[in-house]
Amino acid sequence: MADFSPRSTARIAKHPIHPMLVPFPIACFVGALLTDIAYWRSAEMMWSNFSSWLVSAGVVLGIIAAIAGLVDFIGDRNIRKQAPAWPHVIGNLIVLIVATINMFVHTHDAWTSVVPWGLTLSAVTVVLLLFTGWMGWAMVYRHRVGVAE
Amino acid sequence: MTRAYFRTGLTGLAGLLLASACALPAASADDFDPMSQVGPNPVLPEPQQYLFPPMNIAKAVGWKEGEKPTVAPGLKIEALATGLEHPRFLYVLPNGDVLVVESQGPGVEPVKRPKDLVMGLVMSIATGSGGKGGESNRVTLLRDADGDGKPETRSVFLEHLSSPFGVALVGSDLYVANTDSLMHYPYKEGDTKITDPGKPLTELPGGPIDHHWTKSLVASPDGSLLYVGVGSNSNITENGMQAEKNRAAIWEVDRATGRWRIFADGLRNPNGLTFEPTTGALWAVINERDELGPDLVPDYMTSVKDGGFYGWPYSYYGQHIDPRVQPQRPDLVAKAIMPDYALSSHVAPLGMAFNTADSLPAKYKGGAFVGEHGSWDRDKFNGYKVVFVPFKDGKPEGKAEDVVTGFLDHNLAARGRPVGVAIDKSGALLIADDVGNTVWRVTPAQQTAAVK
Repeated sequence: MADFSPRSTARIAKHPIHPMLVPFPIACFVGALLTDIAYWRSAEMMWSNFSSWLVSAGVVLGIIAAIAGLVDFIGDRNIRKQAPAWPHVIGNLIVLIVATINMFVHTHDAWTSVVPWGLTLSAVTVVLLLFTGWMGWAMVYRHRVGVAE
Repeated sequence: MTRAYFRTGLTGLAGLLLASACALPAASADDFDPMSQVGPNPVLPEPQQYLFPPMNIAKAVGWKEGEKPTVAPGLKIEALATGLEHPRFLYVLPNGDVLVVESQGPGVEPVKRPKDLVMGLVMSIATGSGGKGGESNRVTLLRDADGDGKPETRSVFLEHLSSPFGVALVGSDLYVANTDSLMHYPYKEGDTKITDPGKPLTELPGGPIDHHWTKSLVASPDGSLLYVGVGSNSNITENGMQAEKNRAAIWEVDRATGRWRIFADGLRNPNGLTFEPTTGALWAVINERDELGPDLVPDYMTSVKDGGFYGWPYSYYGQHIDPRVQPQRPDLVAKAIMPDYALSSHVAPLGMAFNTADSLPAKYKGGAFVGEHGSWDRDKFNGYKVVFVPFKDGKPEGKAEDVVTGFLDHNLAARGRPVGVAIDKSGALLIADDVGNTVWRVTPAQQTAAVK
């Protein structure tokens, strides 16, 4: 374990931006899974409309969070050296690809905007996020990425 | 360790792409012949749903000086009136005066999903020059008493209407179908303007949403009943079943009392309501559902049976189930009637008129002219023309043929788009063009000589 903290490049007053942004897309994608399940069980269009907004907002906010994260990743070689860094980056890029596909699936009208593929992709997104999120937390709480000296 | 994570990720990605590729087939080679979907037994491919649905709508450019549509041999076309504001429907009064219904959609459809924002943008490109922002939602009267194709009188007949579409006259009672009400006005032969504010005979399903807003109208041959086309409030129930109450139907309204009932339903967007002259059966042209692929579902024309159910939303073309509708209704699907005659997919028929006059060449007698507004959700344009469907003994007989084309220019931009069609007192075919803001008049090619 290094006895110094890898430095965040995208930061405001020494506060790394990336960890401030990531909760938003995560909440959107988890929410979309819940509203997809609600639509699947009820066929009530309101839930699938919620899903459309949540998935779309998740993609947009996810891209913004990813930009901040990539700046950190590229900005300090000591970050790239951490074991969880690569799976975190690649995993989250996959999350964004899956969520983007899911966004288009959710533009279908009525039932097939969710069942079966919208719901499946929403679930895959959340499962992937559990893994990539774990890697992200490891980088901060175990490898002290962006933590002040 | 890094490498292990890496491999897991890549395997996962490959699996996902494979899965989504299976679920969402890519656009197939577009070698499908749209003419195979013209006639009583259209070829119906398997439904497809796209990741990136094809959206291709002709950009509106309007007609330049001297440009006009192309007509079939033996015919000639001239503008009867230009500079109109989004003309959608035509009605010929007994004295030969032509009513032009100029109409704009109510524009009350809310943004419910991010998709609605994108769709709104695409549609605004298409209708860009449809109306120059001037006065619309009115009826203009054209009087061409000497029949030379140049109206001597042009007046605003009725104004300040609410997205009007259908018009019908019974004796001295004139009816206008606004998007939200069926209005009654007194009319005297020769009137060029109606100042009476009118009385509603019945309300019609308008907002909220009002997705398909055009209310087609026809009076029964004996004049006692009115038939109103009421389109669905969505493509395929994506606004919820509650929004579809009394919609996707043809209403029968008692003219004396305003009491109404559903005459037939399961008709997604019925327009061009008209009675077939030999059998007296009610016919309509129907805009079918979108986003099941470029070649589904064919729009159609059909005789409409009392109490008939024609499938929407649960099924199309008889018993073909639409996977997008839940909960399904097998009881209704079982009794869904197969329509009489397909017009090809996404051609968007909005007007129909039977020709009983002798003016046009004999082969056009007895059949129906259909105005096809044109496609927006397939790569290759379909429609954007007026076709003729020959009839024999009150049934379509043979393939529809092109009568008026050339609404798209060489760059596939829309100079015009046909909507309502009518036969005028002289027997000429009239076409409302809501992008070119023109009413076109089609006559036999040799008629000029005859008149002179």
